[in-house]
Amino acid sequence: MNTNALQFRRATEAKAFDLDHRAIVVKNTNTYHAAVARGIARFADWETARCRAAAVKWEVMNHLDRYLEEFERNVQAKGGHVHWAETGAEASQIAVSLAKQHGVRKVVKSKSMVTEEIHLNPALEAAGVTVLETDLGEYICQLRGEPPYHIVTPVMHLNRAQIAKTFNEKFGTSLDATAEQLAGIAREKLRAEFLSADMGISGGNFAVADTGMIGLCTNEGNARLTTALPRVHVAIVGIEKLVPKLEDLALFWPLLATRGTGQFLTVYNTLIGGSENFHVILLDNGRTKLLADAEQRDALHCIRCGACLNACPVYKAVGGHSYGTTYQGPIGSMITPHLRGWQDWSHLSYASSLCGNCADICSVHIPIHHHLLHNRRNSVRQHCDPLIQRLMFRVWLWGVQSASLYALGGKMARLAIWLGIAQPLARAWTKRRDLPEPPRQAFRDWWRNNERA
Amino acid sequence: MSARDNILNRVRDAVRTKAPRPPEPSAAPIWPPMGEAEARFREEFTALRGEIVESLPEFLAGFAKIATDKSELAGSGNVPVREADLGVTSCVCLVAQTGSIVVACRSAEERALSALPPVHLVVARRSQIVLDLEAAIGVLRKQYGGGFPSLISVISGPSRTADIEKVLVLGAHGPKRLAVHFINK
Repeated sequence: MNTNALQFRRATEAKAFDLDHRAIVVKNTNTYHAAVARGIARFADWETARCRAAAVKWEVMNHLDRYLEEFERNVQAKGGHVHWAETGAEASQIAVSLAKQHGVRKVVKSKSMVTEEIHLNPALEAAGVTVLETDLGEYICQLRGEPPYHIVTPVMHLNRAQIAKTFNEKFGTSLDATAEQLAGIAREKLRAEFLSADMGISGGNFAVADTGMIGLCTNEGNARLTTALPRVHVAIVGIEKLVPKLEDLALFWPLLATRGTGQFLTVYNTLIGGSENFHVILLDNGRTKLLADAEQRDALHCIRCGACLNACPVYKAVGGHSYGTTYQGPIGSMITPHLRGWQDWSHLSYASSLCGNCADICSVHIPIHHHLLHNRRNSVRQHCDPLIQRLMFRVWLWGVQSASLYALGGKMARLAIWLGIAQPLARAWTKRRDLPEPPRQAFRDWWRNNERA
Repeated sequence: MSARDNILNRVRDAVRTKAPRPPEPSAAPIWPPMGEAEARFREEFTALRGEIVESLPEFLAGFAKIATDKSELAGSGNVPVREADLGVTSCVCLVAQTGSIVVACRSAEERALSALPPVHLVVARRSQIVLDLEAAIGVLRKQYGGGFPSLISVISGPSRTADIEKVLVLGAHGPKRLAVHFINK
């Protein structure tokens, strides 16, 4: 088993039995589910809405070259700059050199998963630039030195008391601080940073091809300040974030907010583009590999609403940090092997009960659990499955192809259970579960005795 | 070969094979009927904790340091935006469906006006209320043609966060209060 798979097994083992963790996550997701139900009720036809979104994304993804070029042309026509990065390291390098070029000493960031993906903060810090996260959840993550737990709600795994403790350790504030007081402390601390920062860095929820603008959706207003106050704005955007035209956002904005948090719209749906000091970095970092797989291409339709995480029984049990990936939950399990390699990440394809909840709620109709099955098939084809597993399936295949061997296997298993040696033999299963009580008689024996009756 | 060429070439190679097309969506309307525009706007806007200001002088009396976008509707202020405790702006339009205000700005100063001061007041005409987001985008297209300003923001209520235990807190980084005043002309 590779180190990532081993790490995943250890982390999930610990988290799944952490009852405090479970209580916090269940409380948060229940609040979320109630809000989303109210949000969906504001649509006359949710199903049509997400089918239309899927159709728009299909059009973009299957003509992506055209839309990328159109977007680039329109950004440049308005005086902005477009940079292309094949890898995460390249994107970070471009951001670092832009910072150097503009004499930047301090960067404020609005929430962006893609900058987590490319490990931008360490790269900037290594170049002597101070980096501050400004989304409250991300700020708390930064104070704790932790990666985001969830792509939309970065500190869903923490309760108020734990966050108050972090603030207490960093700033000496009260352990009894309320959510409002904690948000107030962050507002005050970060206000000064916004005003003194030289560069703002954001991601992009959307890149609008026909206007050359990027769309940012936030509630706090931090993206507004990140892009308005510093001299230079750099937006790092995955190439899959394109939508053809501005009108598409009349659908995508409510879709993202409704499944993201249950709001009809996030507070600030902002479009930015067209100034001398606006830079967009278009990032590939493995996305074209997923694009090349026509069967699974629609995974790139994802708008990162985070709904499949909240809907997933596995995510809720094992927690966002166990995955060890930037994108967690069903969609993360599905895309990570494509983006970061099958050998290291195909074990995540099994982090699913295949219940299909993720596909049912997906804002853009991605059949995520089917793709997890495709991933399992593909990883076996590429021999990413462990040797012992491959051998066991060989033996099993051999057994089920012969009626007499299959019967013998059943007899042996029954015997093993009766003798009490099955328990230790099947420890991986029996450690947490009981073995089923075997019926007195195998079906084939029953059939033989009752066939004539 | 540049990164740009490499990426675009990979994209072109990839999309030569088309993915299966998703089923054609139905033509059914996505949204329920909006109702009367102004009533709907008021209902949605106040549900988002926006305030409708009836008496402008009374509201303004509460603020000593005011910055404005110097538009005809917003008038002139007395301090720069970084010092203001109230930012006053006009807007492109207001959206009944969502209780939102659409602002558009060209300068850095203007961009900060609706985001930096603790209170944001929008002065608007009733005729600026449009029914839904699609209509709002139509207004933007009409007003700006191809030359969109550097920032467009659809603002729906005061700044907020629910990052801590999903408890709603108003005034995360942007304005803690958002108000609209309709002028009668």
